[in-house]
Amino acid sequence: MVKLEEFNILVIDENPDRAAIVERGLVESGYTRVARIGTSHNLVERIQALAPDIIIIDLENPDRDTLEQMFQVSRAIARPIAMFVDQSDASMIHEAVSAGVSAYVVDGLRQDRIRPIVEMAISRFNVFDQLRRERDEAQAKLNERKLIERAKGILMKEKGLSEEDSYALLRKNAMKQNRKIYEIAQSVITAFQLEF
Amino acid sequence: MANKVRLGFVPLVDCAIPVVARAMGFAQQEDIDLELVREMSWAAIRDKLSFGMFEAAHLLAGIPIAARLGLSGLPVQNIVVPMALGRGGNAITVSTQLYQRMLEADPNAMLGPRGRSARALKKVIDEDKAEGRPILSFATVFPFSSHNYELRYWMAAAGIDPDMDVNIGVIAPPRMFDSLRNGWVDGYCVGEPWNQRAVFHGDGVIVALKDDIWSRSPEKVLGLREDWAQGNPELVSALVRALVRAAEWADQPGNRVELAHILSEEANVGAPFEVLKASLSGKPVLRPGEPPIDLPDRHVFYRYTATFPWLSQGRWIGEQMKRWRQIPQDTNLKAVIPDVFRPDLYRTAVAGLDVLVPQDDWRVEGAADAPDRSLVGTDQFLDDTIFKAEF
Repeated sequence: MVKLEEFNILVIDENPDRAAIVERGLVESGYTRVARIGTSHNLVERIQALAPDIIIIDLENPDRDTLEQMFQVSRAIARPIAMFVDQSDASMIHEAVSAGVSAYVVDGLRQDRIRPIVEMAISRFNVFDQLRRERDEAQAKLNERKLIERAKGILMKEKGLSEEDSYALLRKNAMKQNRKIYEIAQSVITAFQLEF
Repeated sequence: MANKVRLGFVPLVDCAIPVVARAMGFAQQEDIDLELVREMSWAAIRDKLSFGMFEAAHLLAGIPIAARLGLSGLPVQNIVVPMALGRGGNAITVSTQLYQRMLEADPNAMLGPRGRSARALKKVIDEDKAEGRPILSFATVFPFSSHNYELRYWMAAAGIDPDMDVNIGVIAPPRMFDSLRNGWVDGYCVGEPWNQRAVFHGDGVIVALKDDIWSRSPEKVLGLREDWAQGNPELVSALVRALVRAAEWADQPGNRVELAHILSEEANVGAPFEVLKASLSGKPVLRPGEPPIDLPDRHVFYRYTATFPWLSQGRWIGEQMKRWRQIPQDTNLKAVIPDVFRPDLYRTAVAGLDVLVPQDDWRVEGAADAPDRSLVGTDQFLDDTIFKAEF
């Protein structure tokens, strides 16, 4: 019987940051033989060379169409692989699809041995998603602040207002129109751009 | 409130029908809020349709058949096909280097009918064999794609064994062009705009068009999850009507420039307008730097029953699966195909509209003198095969 850590796991991901997060999660759980590759034109050859037992790949990765062919062409790969779906567990299928994870396994591996690996990938994809969302939100906040700063600068220059009064004007209009301050700031910037 | 329908599509010219249904208001007229989701791979579309993230999808005609036969590697839901999404649009493009070799190896074959241009390829392959060179690599878009079957048909008719004489791999459509450009493949069969794009960039030459291989060959279809279709019969009819109306609009020569504009948007196909216009106006350029040729039927969306899900066309795809040993030889296609291709749903949806529907659900394919010729247009295989499979 193969020990857990003897599985060869291949992570295929165009996003190196996400691949690294998935890899670390797997290694920390005791799966030490993890390889990762990004976009590759000789995918079939590389997979042959790495001989993975399990492939974890983003559900939307165009390379999946190439992988699908391996179900068909037995001479392309020594060991047949198939998409892993635990048919007895509908919630897991749903979690995997929502997280954007798909997994391919070589024929004959037992479901209960593969499940924890796929679950780990799902949780890591979700972690990555969360991190990305937080980063995007932080970026958006920063952009909002920049817009407000620019609008304030315009009002100070064009209307001779102090910084405080410029901000108060933006806020007053935002409250009156029931909009966000940065939206008013955007309107101010647009309006002054139009005049030039 | 409008009924929401989520439809997944791959950026190709033949996503035109759903894109037009939304952009020109045909879906809205049927009280449908059609949400279009752009996908970069056929496997992703199939899985999202199966797992309920989409109700409908722009699909390769072979995918629902393969899914029904359990060939998808996962327990997908059954998919039904209430209509086809037009015809045409594929081509076989080879690298300019391979084109030169084909031209030198057999100039006559390259001047003759394009459907027979593989005879020149055969000579190149024989030369390579004699010299002990590595075999050529070709790509199609999916194992169960019309592209795969068309490429193999074209090769096999010239005596090439597609399984032994060449290497045929799979690359998702949006990546094809780069693969040819970088020399990772020597040729491919893909839908537009990915052939025209290679020609415009001077990286490839179109050596055969889908029409040259089989002028009436099926292409993409509308796929619906069977359980959803069963539970929403009126919505299915409304969706089919909206898409048929969109097909009618997209088919008008006078609308093709506008269509090229719509498709060129990043959210749709996202390819250059000029490339899309050349193909959609029926004036494709086959070789870099040459004038376009006149091919009014290069893209057919509505005329010639291009939206009708002919059982005989589904059957032809199934027979190709057998031919290339993707499915067992004793698979009962006569029983399977009518579960997948559903002309009855099409007939119900368009009943009472001024949409021409054929009398029967299947026909003899490839017969030049067929009685319904005026309805279906030119119908010829490159090797004059007559395909008859009764239902």
